[in-house]
Amino acid sequence: MSEKLLELKNVTMKFGGVTALNEVNFSVSKGEIAALIGPNGAGKTTVFNVVTGVYKPTSGEVNFNGVSVVGRKRYQVTKMGIARTFQNIRLFGESTALENVVTGADVHSKSGVVGAIFGTPRSRREEAAALERGLELLEFMGLRHRAGQLGKNLPYGDQRRLEIARALATNPQLLLLDEPAAGFNPAEKVALAETIRKIRDAGYTVLLIEHDMSLIMGISDRVAVLDFGQKIADDLPSIVQNDPRVIEAYLGAPADAS
Amino acid sequence: MADKKHKFNLRDHAADFWDASPRWRKVSLSFLFIAICYALPFLNNPLINTPGSDFQSVLFYPVGMYVLMAIGLNIVVGKSGLLDLGYVAFFAIGAYTMAILGTKTSLNFWEILPIGMGFAMLAGVLLGTPTLRLRGDYLAIVTLGFGEIVRIVAVNTDAIGGPRGIAGIPTPPDIFNAKFTILDPKPYYWLLLTFTLLMIWVVRRMAARRPGRAWDAIRQDDDVAQLMGVNTLKYKVWAFVLGAAVAGVGGVIYASQILSIVPDQFNLNVSILILACVVFGGIGNVWGVILGAALLAFTPERIRFLSQPRILVFGVALVVMMNLRPDGVLPKKKREHFDPDWHTIEESGEGEIK
Ligand SMILES: Nc1ncnc2c1ncn2[C@@H]1O[C@H](COP(=O)(O)OP(=O)(O)OP(=O)(O)O)[C@@H](O)[C@H]1O
Ligand SMILES: [Mg+2]
Repeated sequence: MSEKLLELKNVTMKFGGVTALNEVNFSVSKGEIAALIGPNGAGKTTVFNVVTGVYKPTSGEVNFNGVSVVGRKRYQVTKMGIARTFQNIRLFGESTALENVVTGADVHSKSGVVGAIFGTPRSRREEAAALERGLELLEFMGLRHRAGQLGKNLPYGDQRRLEIARALATNPQLLLLDEPAAGFNPAEKVALAETIRKIRDAGYTVLLIEHDMSLIMGISDRVAVLDFGQKIADDLPSIVQNDPRVIEAYLGAPADAS
Repeated sequence: MADKKHKFNLRDHAADFWDASPRWRKVSLSFLFIAICYALPFLNNPLINTPGSDFQSVLFYPVGMYVLMAIGLNIVVGKSGLLDLGYVAFFAIGAYTMAILGTKTSLNFWEILPIGMGFAMLAGVLLGTPTLRLRGDYLAIVTLGFGEIVRIVAVNTDAIGGPRGIAGIPTPPDIFNAKFTILDPKPYYWLLLTFTLLMIWVVRRMAARRPGRAWDAIRQDDDVAQLMGVNTLKYKVWAFVLGAAVAGVGGVIYASQILSIVPDQFNLNVSILILACVVFGGIGNVWGVILGAALLAFTPERIRFLSQPRILVFGVALVVMMNLRPDGVLPKKKREHFDPDWHTIEESGEGEIK
């Protein structure tokens, strides 16, 4: 089997009485586009939250490149190489598109306040590098012409794309996309699929949450299905698509039918 | 209605003019501005005279002091969005450092200045590291408590004069023919102004670089900032420490001018007033904050002839103002750039001149 980049082992996440994730085993291999699907409230976003350090799992392990991320600070997880977007767009609305992206690119700078005050050569070098990376990513996402506009004033689709650019700016090994095509029209979805493929081809690994089946089936190498916090399938898209348990989960058949 | 967008906006026009200016014009305008600031004590205009108090003294305190402190507090409240209600504590620490070391050791003002700043910064780290993990309201309450604690400790510590404070604080030794005496507030004003200009430069520099972006991110969405790799605690503590440094320096200069201090000068009112300057002027925008502080400090002195009702008049004026311009006199408003060739972060609003 190929190398595992991300691995969840028996991860359980409880919120009071709600079990959002129940003994989930799941992994993402280097270089693939993996998809995570499931009905509303299945626990998909919770997987992202557990992986990025937003929540500490009630039990179980989360390893990235064989190193545990559990208990690490969020910014440390980002530095390790995991970046994400948000289901409900969460840009820095009062900052320009370029500033949004450069904020992500700053992760790899070493100079901070002191460097900025004294204008040290390293600070200047890193500022220039972060700026260049930001512009590069805006270009890549087709947002170059938006550089100077405020995040909150961008059209909806551009906001979604800007979130991807900002996440990529942190130079992640693993990119987590939470419903990036939500609210997109068919043409935009096709373009997004193309972009995601390009991102993968550029060497990133992608884990994608999405409701649009045709998008998922078109670009994923592998699809995992969550239902009520449990993984009920994990296979090639063509196989998952015809799995009776998956169809059941989506059609809302009684959970104890099988 | 459609015209509303195109309404003449002095601030935007001024900003456009500035952005479009060649370097020589920016440099000469800056010099002109700085020269006017230094010449202010010699201005003798009935419009800005302060009946009842000496204009030159008013320039130093409260005007200059408020402006400096407001710039410092703006780093904390305006840039990073951390509500600090105990800012006076750092001012007190600077003042007490000057008072204690000035009366008990042979160190002079210039030697004490960095020490006072250092103590204030240290207090910023010690207070900030545990409390900046808290959010919003909790932080406000803890800092409010801290401000009071510093004052109460001073009241109850006999070694530093208790409630009677410390008298006989030495004035700074002369430099460049400027003589620091109780009779002449001008040198103190110039000293304060020099430090204020330095701070404006530092703040603008940081705003255009990584710390500025980190603070922007923290203020807008702390969680997302963390997930984008910003070590939020570190940058919040830095904001606190830089704010503390400014107040500490302010305190040292203040004590060396006023010659004797008592703990009750450093009460909650000072923190609230400085915060009012920041909010009134336009939170987050350094020029707005400067204008706000200057107005808030100057107006009560200017209308001193009204004697008793003047605070009432002042209060009403404040309320009216905040209704007319709820975001402050000169609010922070990022201007957008639609030019596709716009590409340097430095050019966005508060950038440095490159
Ligand atoms: N912070 C929280 N506190 C309490 N319950 C939570 C929390 N976060 C998630 N949950 C619950 O966990 C379950 C899974 O939520 P999650 O957001 O992961 O679902 P999802 O699969 O992303 O759904 P959707 O498709 O609607 O986005 C839901 O029942 C939700 O109410
Ligand atoms: Mg979700």
